[in-house]
Amino acid sequence: MTYILEAKELRKQYADKLALRGLNLQIAPGEVFCLLGQNGAGKSTTINLFLGFVQPTAGAAFVNGLEVATNPIKIKEYLAYIPEQVMLYPHLTGLENLALFSSLAGYKYPQWELVQYLTDAGLPAEAVQRRVGTYSKGMRQKVGIAIAVAKHAKVLLLDEPTSGLDPKASNEFSELLRRLSGQGTAVLMATHDIFRAKEVGTRVGIMREGELVDVRPTATLNAQELEQLYLTFMN
Amino acid sequence: MMHSIAQKEFISTLRDRRFGVLSALVLALLLAATLVGRASYRTLQQERQLAQATVNEQFRNQPARHPHRVAHYGSFAFRPKSGLSLLDAGVDSFTGSAVFLEAHQQNSVNFSPAQQSGSLIRFGEMTVAFVLQLLVPLLIIFLCFGAFTQERETGTLKLLLSQGVTIRQVAWGKILGYSQAVALVVAPALALAAVLLFTGEEFASGVDLAARLTLFVVSYAVYFFLFVVGAVVVSAGQSSSRAALVTLLGFWILSGIILPKATANLGASLYPTTTKAQMDAEVHEQAQHGLNGHDPQDKRAAALKADLLKKYGVDSEDKLPVSVAGLQMAAGEEYSTRVYQQHFAALNATYQRQNRLSDWAGLLNPYQAIRPLSMGLAGSDFAHYVHFQQAAESYRYDLVQRLNGLQASMGYGDKERRLDASTWRAVPVFMYQAPTLGWAWPHLFLPMAALLLWAGLLSWIGLRLIATTPVA
Amino acid sequence: MHLFRILFFYEWRHFRAARGLVLLCCLLLATGLYGIYYGTTEIERQRQHLANLPELTRRNVDELKVKFPGPADAGDIGYYHSTFAMHHPDRWAALSLGLRDVNPSYVKLRLLGLQNQLYATDNTNPMKVLSGNFDLAFVLVYLLPLLIIALCFNLLSSEREEGILVVLLAQPVRPAVVVGAKLAFRLVVVLGLAGLLSVVGMLWAQVPLDGRVIMWLSLTVLYCLFWFGVSLVVTALQRPSAVNAVALLGVWLLLVVLVPSLLNLSVATARPVPQGIALTIKQREEIHGGWDRPKTETMNRFFALYPQWRDTATIRERFVWRWYYAFQHLGDLAVAPQAAAYAHGLQQRYDLVEQLNLLSPAINAQTSFNALAGTDLPTHLQFQRSATRFHDSLRAFYYPFLFGKVEFTHADYAREPTHSFTSQPELPTLYRGLVKLLLSVAAVYGLGAVLWRVRPIIPR
Repeated sequence: MTYILEAKELRKQYADKLALRGLNLQIAPGEVFCLLGQNGAGKSTTINLFLGFVQPTAGAAFVNGLEVATNPIKIKEYLAYIPEQVMLYPHLTGLENLALFSSLAGYKYPQWELVQYLTDAGLPAEAVQRRVGTYSKGMRQKVGIAIAVAKHAKVLLLDEPTSGLDPKASNEFSELLRRLSGQGTAVLMATHDIFRAKEVGTRVGIMREGELVDVRPTATLNAQELEQLYLTFMN
Repeated sequence: MMHSIAQKEFISTLRDRRFGVLSALVLALLLAATLVGRASYRTLQQERQLAQATVNEQFRNQPARHPHRVAHYGSFAFRPKSGLSLLDAGVDSFTGSAVFLEAHQQNSVNFSPAQQSGSLIRFGEMTVAFVLQLLVPLLIIFLCFGAFTQERETGTLKLLLSQGVTIRQVAWGKILGYSQAVALVVAPALALAAVLLFTGEEFASGVDLAARLTLFVVSYAVYFFLFVVGAVVVSAGQSSSRAALVTLLGFWILSGIILPKATANLGASLYPTTTKAQMDAEVHEQAQHGLNGHDPQDKRAAALKADLLKKYGVDSEDKLPVSVAGLQMAAGEEYSTRVYQQHFAALNATYQRQNRLSDWAGLLNPYQAIRPLSMGLAGSDFAHYVHFQQAAESYRYDLVQRLNGLQASMGYGDKERRLDASTWRAVPVFMYQAPTLGWAWPHLFLPMAALLLWAGLLSWIGLRLIATTPVA
Repeated sequence: MHLFRILFFYEWRHFRAARGLVLLCCLLLATGLYGIYYGTTEIERQRQHLANLPELTRRNVDELKVKFPGPADAGDIGYYHSTFAMHHPDRWAALSLGLRDVNPSYVKLRLLGLQNQLYATDNTNPMKVLSGNFDLAFVLVYLLPLLIIALCFNLLSSEREEGILVVLLAQPVRPAVVVGAKLAFRLVVVLGLAGLLSVVGMLWAQVPLDGRVIMWLSLTVLYCLFWFGVSLVVTALQRPSAVNAVALLGVWLLLVVLVPSLLNLSVATARPVPQGIALTIKQREEIHGGWDRPKTETMNRFFALYPQWRDTATIRERFVWRWYYAFQHLGDLAVAPQAAAYAHGLQQRYDLVEQLNLLSPAINAQTSFNALAGTDLPTHLQFQRSATRFHDSLRAFYYPFLFGKVEFTHADYAREPTHSFTSQPELPTLYRGLVKLLLSVAAVYGLGAVLWRVRPIIPR
């Protein structure tokens, strides 16, 4: 079985803090892995390590079998990243932002196809030609998703994607994730929202103080059990 | 990929209203400065050409006179403005425009524009060079200070990098995009200047002017480029936009306002010069050791006379075919001019030592590299001024010696006679030929090297620094 | 008042902790001291140069005594002898050099026509005069506002951006007290620095203790107050720190750089100066025409002006000195209207700038400092008038020898008049400058007060 994401004994020591203490993790294509944990548990560090934005102190992260540290550019062909706050260039339109980021990833699309990606991601057609400065947070996130989809990413790395979204937008987002994972895209999502994790995730992992303390498949877990589990580890 | 980022920066910049306002202001100032520069160039040039034509006519239309009276009547040399000085007036406002040329002495070049205005002129003049050297860098700073800090603050940097671009590519893309925006502001004014220069009949357009203008444009392109790169590097190195802005503005004030003044003043303190009065007195006293044209009692003058008598094999002055006074005057002029040239060279050497501090500061401060380069190309720097002084002095010397020669050929008793009015029409008038770029080249080498060094080092070391900047 | 003291004290602690600001203040102090050092050494050098001139005259006289061992024709002496009209700097000039390096501080004079001697320049390094003087006035006019901007651009915005302002204003303290305490602290720092530099400068330059000490300090204080007023106005707009910094620097650029250079352009266009070049050309024609005109014509014109010499012997010689000097002087007189127009044109230019300097307190402050030190154009024009009078007195000294055919003896050298002129302050300009600066300060604080009234502080 080849994993699309893999972490082997991943450690990250910052100047004042040990953020990750030997993380081991494997995620297969089509899987939606939700990382749960408090602020500072190491979720964002994990995502940053997979992106190559920070260098591991020990161990290694692999994307599609390639080590991140030695292939910092190549691995980004497989990854798409959607931060908590999708901040785009305010002076460019949604369409222009998408065109820019796709071209950076090596894709040149005709205009109608770009519009298609944006509307597929749920952006209202009238907004496509508007400057991003006028967008709401949810709309910016939809552009972020369109960017991810348009580069045919094999993995989505999501950092608190639903925080601050209204329930309708959150539901649309979950729907989209399910669709993408159905097409074989793997998802690694850091979140506080256990219910959302149960709903869209195939597995959940609970992090505490830089360690993955428990991993469960969501199929065998009901919401109460999950909440119980979470609370146990948090306290 | 770089191109996509460059395009994004270019479009974003154009859509930024603040940039729009600032660049419109800078462009308006540039265009105004070009037109005003042309107008003042025209006025000054016409004044000087008219004055030169007047004195030339006066010289040629003299009545029958004794040549030594003509030597005292003398002539004037007016310094023509160089074509490109409409873009960069350089030191022109602080150098004189007219020098009176007469026998026995070298006069100062008088009537500088600075002497004709109050201390207001010390605040600086609104020329194209002023806008290009100080205001455009300020515009670049405002444009670029957030290049990386803003992307980091809003998180778009991560998004960019997650698309598989290197940070170095992002930096180059930004540099390219900003450079395009700057070019958009500066190019119209330079194009206008070029059109004015090459279509205006008052400008002697030619290969030299074209070469100078080309180098002028290229130099400023390098100057702006290194400001763009520098601002982007600083932006990448600083933790916040505010810190980046403060750092860059601090550098601007230090390099554009404080350092040029401080180095110029320090240079003048380190290498003092004498006054013209002192120098003239020394020239006079040293010339006294030789022949003195107005002093027939002088021993050397007597020796010259004795030699002449011997050479022509006669026993008295009245039998000589030449005028002793004329030859004595020629010998005196030759000697005193030689002494003067030594002092003049020493004075200019001291000035060059004074300025060298500022020249070398160009290695640390790009403003002090572009300033001499720009005025050197425009033909309005110190070296070009000295060239004019020397041309005027060399004309003066030739004129006076020609007149002394005429006097000598009049033979004994020349004082009682005059030369015909037609004699003066045969004397060539002062025609100043501004030096070519090839002549100016040695003065431009250091600042040009300094600029290129800056651009090279910034692109090399700066971009390496950017590559190591933290992303998250 | 108690709250004010607490806030003031905390500002002091913040200031001490902010390394950058302390460094900036030290930097200003250092540049100010350098400015004083440069100004005093430059003036000392000029004094030294002027002190050497009598020696040159003495050497010239010695040479003439050798050349003319016995009693001589005064015409020969007048031709070969040169002396100097000297413009001594005031002690205050060391603090504000003005145009003292552009305009020569002496004129070398012979008995010949004045107009082609009066405009001679001294040796100068154009690159140096282009770069300008790094004197105390430069530090005060150019750099001090920058320090004020650096201290004030985040007067309230930094607190707002860090979220402290909410906490601060949640306390029982009026916002005006908060702003007042912050401003007062900065005012103390800046005025302390400016005052210290001024006093050091005055002591170093050994200025006389007259009313000008108060004038200088008032100018400095008012100019600082103006820039604090600008900061207050910008703070009242309650924008982010970066916007404030850009806005304040924009105002600085406008008032210190753009307005002066644009004003310079417009004044040059509005008040074209009659050409000095044309004047000297015309004078040369007049003088050399003298050689060719009948001697009686020349002498009659001269005697019309100086009837006391009318009874002197009729000139029959081919050349005689009194005729030569007569047409030299007539040459001067022929261009007297042009010379007057030239000087008048320069003065008018200056006057127009002085009227318009209300547009920029920076120009006003610089003009006023120069007026106080007597280093600007009007003082130089005064010097030229004084040199002209000296030339008149030289002629008056030599004419009796020339026309009375009195022989010039070695003892007569010592009887020749000498010249000395010391810069005088332009007090009316200075007073007007102070009043105008006061107006600018009032205007900017008035605007600030209105803005603070209509825009109450928003804590976040």
